Amino acid sequence: MATPGGPRPGSTPPNYNPSNVADGMQNLQINRPVGPPTSMANSGSFRPPPPFGQPPPPFSSSAPSSSSFPRASAMARPGPPPPGSGGPPQATFPPNLASNRPSGPPPGTQPPPPFGARPPPPGSVPSSVSSFGARPPSPGLNPFGSSPLASGPVGPPSSTSEPVSNGPPAYGWGAMQGGPRFPSAGSPLTPPVRPSPPTTLSARAPPPAPSMGSLLGSPPTGAPPGPMQAAPFSAPPHGVPPPSGSSPFSAPPQGVPPPSGSSPFAAPPQGMPPTSGSSPLAPPPQGFSPPSGSPYGHQAWAMHPPQVAPPPLMPGSVQAPRMFGMPPQPPNQAMATISPAMGPMGSSMAVPSKIDPNQIPRPMPSSSVILHETRQGNQANLPPPSTSDYIVKDTGNSSPRFLRCTINQIPCTVDLLTTSGMQLALMVQPLALPHPSEEPIQVVDFGESGPVRCSRCKGYINPFMKFIDQGRRFICNLCGFTDETPRDYQCNLGPDGRRRDADERPELCRGTVEFIATREYMVRDPMPAVFFFLIDVSMNAIQTGATAAACSAINQVISDLPEGPRTMVGIATFDSTIHFYNLKRALQQLQEIGSPGSCYLPLMLIVPDVQDVYTPLQTDVIVQLSECRQHLELLLENIPTMFHDNRTADSAFGAAVKAAFLAMKSTGGKLIVFQSGKFELFKILILPSVGIAALSAREAEGRTNISAGEKEAHKLLQPADKTFKTMAVELAEYQVCVDVFITTQTYVDVASISVIPRTTGGQVYYYYPFSAVSDSAKLYNDLRWNVTRPQGFEAVMRVRCSQGIQVQEYFGNFCKRIPTDVDLPAIDCDKTLMVTLKHDDKLPDGAECAFQCALLYTTIYGQRRIRVSTLSLPCTSVLSNLFRSADLDTHFACFLKQAAIEIPSSPLSLVREQVLNLCINILHSYRKFCATVSSSGQLVLPEALKLLPLYTLGLVKSTGLRTDGRIDDRSFWINYVSSLSTPSAIPLVYPRMMAIHDLDSKEVDGSRIPPAIPLSSEHVCDDGIYLLENGEDCLIYIGNSVDPNSTRQLLGISSDDEIPTQFLLQQYDNPLSKKLNDVVNEIRRQRCSYLRLKLCKKGDSSGMLFFSYMVEDKTPSGLSYVEFLVHVHRQIQNKMP
Amino acid sequence: MAEFLDLEAQDAVRMPWNVVPGTKQDSSHCGVVPIAAVYTPLKLLPSMPVLPYAALRCRNCRSVLNPFSVVDFVAKLWVCPFCLQRNHFPTHYHSISDQNLPAELFPQYTTIEYESPSEKSTVPPVFFLVVDTCLIEEELGFLRSAVSQAVGLVPENSLVGLITFGTYVYVHELGFGQIPKVYVVRGSKELTKDQVIEQMGFFAKRPKPATGVIAGVRDGLSQETIARFLLPASECEFTINSILEELQKDPWPVPSDQRATRCTGTALSVAAHLLGACVPGSGARIICFVGGPTTDGPGAIVSKNLSEPVRSHKDLDKDSAPYFHKAVKFYEGLAKQLVHQGHVLDLFTCALDQVGVAELKVAVERTGGLVVLAESFGHSVFKDSLKRVFQSDDYDLCLSSNGIFEVNCSKDIRVQGIIGPCASLEKKGPLCSETVVGQGSTSAWKMCGLDKATSLCLVFEIVKKEIPEAIGQSANNQFYFQFLTYYQHHSGQMRLRVTTLSRRWVAGPGSIQDLIAGFDQEAAAAVMARLVSFKMETEAEFDPIRWLDKSLIHLCSRFGDYQKDIPSSFSLSPRFSIFPQFMFHLRRSQFVQVFNNSPDETAYFRTILNRENVANSVVMIQPSLISYSFHSTPEPALLDVAAIAADRILLLDSYFSIVVFHGSTIAQWRKAGYHNQPEHVVFSQLLQAPRDDANAITKERFPVPRLVICDQHGSQARFLLAKLNPSATYNSDIPAPEREILFTDDVSFEVFLDHLQRLAVQ
Repeated sequence: MATPGGPRPGSTPPNYNPSNVADGMQNLQINRPVGPPTSMANSGSFRPPPPFGQPPPPFSSSAPSSSSFPRASAMARPGPPPPGSGGPPQATFPPNLASNRPSGPPPGTQPPPPFGARPPPPGSVPSSVSSFGARPPSPGLNPFGSSPLASGPVGPPSSTSEPVSNGPPAYGWGAMQGGPRFPSAGSPLTPPVRPSPPTTLSARAPPPAPSMGSLLGSPPTGAPPGPMQAAPFSAPPHGVPPPSGSSPFSAPPQGVPPPSGSSPFAAPPQGMPPTSGSSPLAPPPQGFSPPSGSPYGHQAWAMHPPQVAPPPLMPGSVQAPRMFGMPPQPPNQAMATISPAMGPMGSSMAVPSKIDPNQIPRPMPSSSVILHETRQGNQANLPPPSTSDYIVKDTGNSSPRFLRCTINQIPCTVDLLTTSGMQLALMVQPLALPHPSEEPIQVVDFGESGPVRCSRCKGYINPFMKFIDQGRRFICNLCGFTDETPRDYQCNLGPDGRRRDADERPELCRGTVEFIATREYMVRDPMPAVFFFLIDVSMNAIQTGATAAACSAINQVISDLPEGPRTMVGIATFDSTIHFYNLKRALQQLQEIGSPGSCYLPLMLIVPDVQDVYTPLQTDVIVQLSECRQHLELLLENIPTMFHDNRTADSAFGAAVKAAFLAMKSTGGKLIVFQSGKFELFKILILPSVGIAALSAREAEGRTNISAGEKEAHKLLQPADKTFKTMAVELAEYQVCVDVFITTQTYVDVASISVIPRTTGGQVYYYYPFSAVSDSAKLYNDLRWNVTRPQGFEAVMRVRCSQGIQVQEYFGNFCKRIPTDVDLPAIDCDKTLMVTLKHDDKLPDGAECAFQCALLYTTIYGQRRIRVSTLSLPCTSVLSNLFRSADLDTHFACFLKQAAIEIPSSPLSLVREQVLNLCINILHSYRKFCATVSSSGQLVLPEALKLLPLYTLGLVKSTGLRTDGRIDDRSFWINYVSSLSTPSAIPLVYPRMMAIHDLDSKEVDGSRIPPAIPLSSEHVCDDGIYLLENGEDCLIYIGNSVDPNSTRQLLGISSDDEIPTQFLLQQYDNPLSKKLNDVVNEIRRQRCSYLRLKLCKKGDSSGMLFFSYMVEDKTPSGLSYVEFLVHVHRQIQNKMP
Repeated sequence: MAEFLDLEAQDAVRMPWNVVPGTKQDSSHCGVVPIAAVYTPLKLLPSMPVLPYAALRCRNCRSVLNPFSVVDFVAKLWVCPFCLQRNHFPTHYHSISDQNLPAELFPQYTTIEYESPSEKSTVPPVFFLVVDTCLIEEELGFLRSAVSQAVGLVPENSLVGLITFGTYVYVHELGFGQIPKVYVVRGSKELTKDQVIEQMGFFAKRPKPATGVIAGVRDGLSQETIARFLLPASECEFTINSILEELQKDPWPVPSDQRATRCTGTALSVAAHLLGACVPGSGARIICFVGGPTTDGPGAIVSKNLSEPVRSHKDLDKDSAPYFHKAVKFYEGLAKQLVHQGHVLDLFTCALDQVGVAELKVAVERTGGLVVLAESFGHSVFKDSLKRVFQSDDYDLCLSSNGIFEVNCSKDIRVQGIIGPCASLEKKGPLCSETVVGQGSTSAWKMCGLDKATSLCLVFEIVKKEIPEAIGQSANNQFYFQFLTYYQHHSGQMRLRVTTLSRRWVAGPGSIQDLIAGFDQEAAAAVMARLVSFKMETEAEFDPIRWLDKSLIHLCSRFGDYQKDIPSSFSLSPRFSIFPQFMFHLRRSQFVQVFNNSPDETAYFRTILNRENVANSVVMIQPSLISYSFHSTPEPALLDVAAIAADRILLLDSYFSIVVFHGSTIAQWRKAGYHNQPEHVVFSQLLQAPRDDANAITKERFPVPRLVICDQHGSQARFLLAKLNPSATYNSDIPAPEREILFTDDVSFEVFLDHLQRLAVQ
């Protein structure tokens, strides 16, 4: 419902328009061209590009056309699984609509999720938008967030000035754009004023560590020495260009040297040490008010000389990108003062706390939208933080959504890299969801001949291939080989050496393009979209309601599957035997004897032999959705009752997967398994006695949850044996992708089960302990997102690198049969692969090094495509450049994944130590080679990586590395991490917490999400209610002495005795509740995840759980944040000579 | 000869030697025609009483009181004629006197039945249908309607189960709850009974007993579980019909160069296991419909590859049929299991190709099953035969089950075995001969399935060595035989039929005439046919023609009347006179001349031969020929090519087929339509007469014979010509122009007889 929201153009074609969706996500922008102008004109005129999170109101007020636009975009975004609650409150919507809201409880109540997918309400507007409507998935949520964007992004390009004009002092944004407008804004001045707050951070460190002051001290105020150095403050990310107009705009992060004099900002910097790449903690001027744009100035001064000043005028429109999400906050600045200023801009996250530790670095994501051009002035631009809200304009390099490198300048030599202590790796998310306002990926059809490729390395044509000899030949930027240009692809070169048609050809001017694959790329016809559902109906599953929940979810989800003959479905259930259903055959005769309900039930085919399984029919088990929809629905309704008295305790998971695989073997496709409880892993393929013995021993261990001490504990995190691995490889070979939904109340050996999804490009969903009441909604939404999100089948991916660098290894959910390629039976927009790189030669300084990721896949509509993303980064031999261009989020994601890989094979303590060392090594290197601070008592952090210690601490305390976790939880965590995207990596270890008891009192019009609170129990009051989310789970903590009124309003419970263990978020008829729902829905949208909601209260295990997320707290097994910084500093000092 | 038929009418027994050579030596002089009896245990004997009490048995040898027992009315004793044991009558016989005899002592009731009311099976008859689906649509359609019709005919209370099979075995759950269910079992793999029990979820609801055999309701199974698969016909008819209606060709693709994957063996095995678990020990029939060769799993007879032909007799002879022995071994195991459970396997095969009857034969025969071989499920041979199985009218087959057959005989006689549809129970005793023929080494046999036509051929051996001194003592020159058949009547009652025989024995050189007088040449022919078939199947390198010829010559030279070395002086007693002719036709029959037939057909013919009585066996060996013409009433004609005449209609009954053969003139008239003209009503009657007779034969025969109606010189005429004595062939000296000739090199009966006479007198 949310989606259909009024604004949604009525014209929207019913559901979606296949072609759009098919093309991947790019369909979004279709309106693009049109949109900008309108939006600008209407709504946007005054508004700075509204930040993402902006509330809808603007739209509603705005002219219809404008509203439609944004909305449309929202639609387009394949957003988060439509939370049942479609309910992002749209201004346009009457609150009541929310009725659906509990979409959550999909069970039965409401069949097809009314939201998103369903056709828009008639009323809606402009026809132009229609294309957007196409996006079926859950647009619901988006509208809000995205809409603003839509207008925003558009705006910039068209007219720079406009945004500026906006009243609201755009903190980040506005400032940027307005660069010119708000010239120096006292910023330069302020810094001096505020002496080194950064430095002293530590000084204010909590009593426990009185000494800290010295340690942490950042460079003295004046001491601009290492620009990068003092991270603690939220100094604008590294290379924030000098305030000068130029910097904001052009400032390619890689130290584009701001013309020193160019801007007022630049000047102020106290002696910007050009040399050091690092910015000292920008001593944020106290008064530093967001609007002033000074912040930049600050950072600006941190800028490095090397920057080549891009003409200020440059792409005027582009300026935004520089805006990193983290506006520098004067450390000591009171929250109160800041927030109003920021509010409008939506940078709600900046929440400095009142206590001293608040000066230590914390993430302060800005909610304002950043415009990012991937290249400027023929140089790669530093990408914005992955967690921020940004819009990418592909100007040659691939969008950072698809391809991100841990360092945005490539060290020329291994030695340099080793010295830095940093990792060199790529995060590849080939089908990542675009921002709704981004241009779609262009599809290029080379016809019969297929895409132009280098004849030696087979690299695909990209903007960095250099054409020579009047275009008759080209030099491959990957292997350096000179190829003949195919005759019909030749084109003259312009005076600048580029092909004259370069700008017309997407493959020559865009970092990411999609090629139509020719027959040469197919070993068979593109496979149909096959969805096979496998449901556990063993006693446990039935009794816990898991079967009913699964059936209900499937039943609703089938209406979201694409129509058309290419969509095939199959279903099977299993306990100790496997039951297939002949979906084609209807026993219509039964109708005559008048047992309603059974009249169209399909025939159940039972495969009893789980030792040696098979598929009972060649056809009719998997049939076209259109042919069997009714049977399927009826069947799904009946399955729970059919088995309601099932007494079979075992469920033959392995055998069932194998049997389903055999049924799907000829086509491949998605196998979605719902598994509860105990399973007979070893009933297949190996000697039963041995196998069962092995299992029972393991089971015993798993149940007792071997904790402390056992040296071999990590063995339980490895698959029990090779059976599943072998099977998984076979599944992958036949393009079957397995997703497993585990709904259990006991140990199920996730470690063994997860081998299958991991190898086949699938995913594990884990509901422990499963509750039919509270988890059904999530199950439904997870399933729905699983099948409706943009995805591809039978994919092969390879990353190519320029000479001198090669791929070392791939990590993620895939199957690898040959060293160079990874096979992905399925890949979707959420799946990310990590690609580690290694030098095999020295790179020439000043040259560029390119990475190209090519993904050959079949769309859900049966088109074979090759998505090619190319990223070209400069090489450097300057160490400080590396620190300046390091990408914190990517780097940390890399740490996270490496730790996850390590956990099953090493004792936890060792893994923790390794993680710490990684962090310390980097900081040490920086301290040793880059920082200019003389005092050894100061902890100097590279600006770009200033949050690394905090995240590292979070990682050490996370489920995966904690000693006290359940084995299955840890296995799930490992598995979750393995395909985790960069933007999701951060909240996993450093969740977002916010107060929700006073939602209505804080009228923030910038964002619907309240500002984040640091993860410290000091910030949790007994009279508050807090929400904490990490992208997967969402905890609502109710303090001891909360006003019962607010609990009643928010949660429908009047006293904390009533706090249920199984919680279902509902919307009550009061503004507070509505707001809470809005917030939750917004989070769901952002995370593309429905979130598992749980209520926590002080004093019981749920409260313990909540406080276990307080990363900054001191815990029995871990240091507090401040202590940790001390520890890190000491370690560094120990290393220093 | 009539007296033999009278004997048969009283006791359902035909013996080649009704006067028995009294010593081992004498019997060896009788040539290879053994002391034997062809006994039809359930032959309908209208005059036979059924006694409502249990039989009285000798406490020594367990034989049953019979008219040959010597009774001492005063002492209330009876003497067992077999072991001479004296037995007291129990109290309820106390009123016995020579005026007041119980029925079993009446001289004319040498065959009598006991039915004790307390013994009644609680389980109604069970029919487990096993249906092949690897068929072309048309055949499947025929099969569907035939099976559906059969289910309609099944007695309402009888239990029915259904399995369909192709690549996999589909066990249909007929007593399903909400949703129709099918258990799908891999066809290529043999399952054990335990696996079947486990996989079919017999213990899903309650724990399986840790020890012991699972056997029906009494031992471990709940009635509901059984009722999932076996349901009273009245309750499941609808379900079965809807399944049949939906039944589709096996869905797995068959490459054009391959045979369909068909797992008959596995399907039967699963059916057997299921019955074994659900209704062990009570009468149940697996009725299997097969439409092609088994190609997968145990019991496969040929590979899937079409380039490999199905085994022929030649392959079997050369031992180059790679699947044969394995399959036979499998079916032997299946037979053993079914016998153990007391269940029957019936086989209905309809295919142009072979389906594996040769391999399956053992299971069918040991369990006393029925077998029908036809070309198509649409053919009347199949359809009508199937109907007959379930029909209950005058031609009811009287299907009975769970029979145990036992033999008692005088101590000088041993039993070598039985050739016929039964299985040895391995009950060894003094009665058992060292020499084994057929199912031997026992004095008790299991007959899982038996009907009113089932006939056993018992082969005996005389072991008395010394020539008895007092031949004249008449009291002592009798051999006694007693046949006990304990079976479940189709009413569900358990019955015991007792037949007690007495035969005079003779010994010494002067006994030849007595032997001749007691010789039943038809019975002898039937026994010889079974024997030669048995030997061909079991003895490697066996030369049947040579064996038969030698036997015949030996018999003729012993019992013939001739002067040595003067062939023309040779003559045979009327008791023997037709025997050479039987042997001549037996040599030419499908039982011996196997190369005209496939192994499947041969197996089929022999299976039928082994269960039929003497009269029918003789028809199989030497078909009967009746001639119809305007000149006379229908009369038997010589089975000779000379019987063919243009103005005659011939009716040939060769048991498996009935041929109505129109002479060329008759055929012309018929084609001209004279029989439709009122003035030629006589012709119409003439045309109709043989058909009526053929129908009469068809009605009472199982399997229903193939009816061939043909004209002289027509292609179908071969069915007649093949059976005729080739007295006139293309190389006969004087081919009469108007006479039919046969194109064959076979010797004619005259030539055969000439040789026989010449050799016999040497």
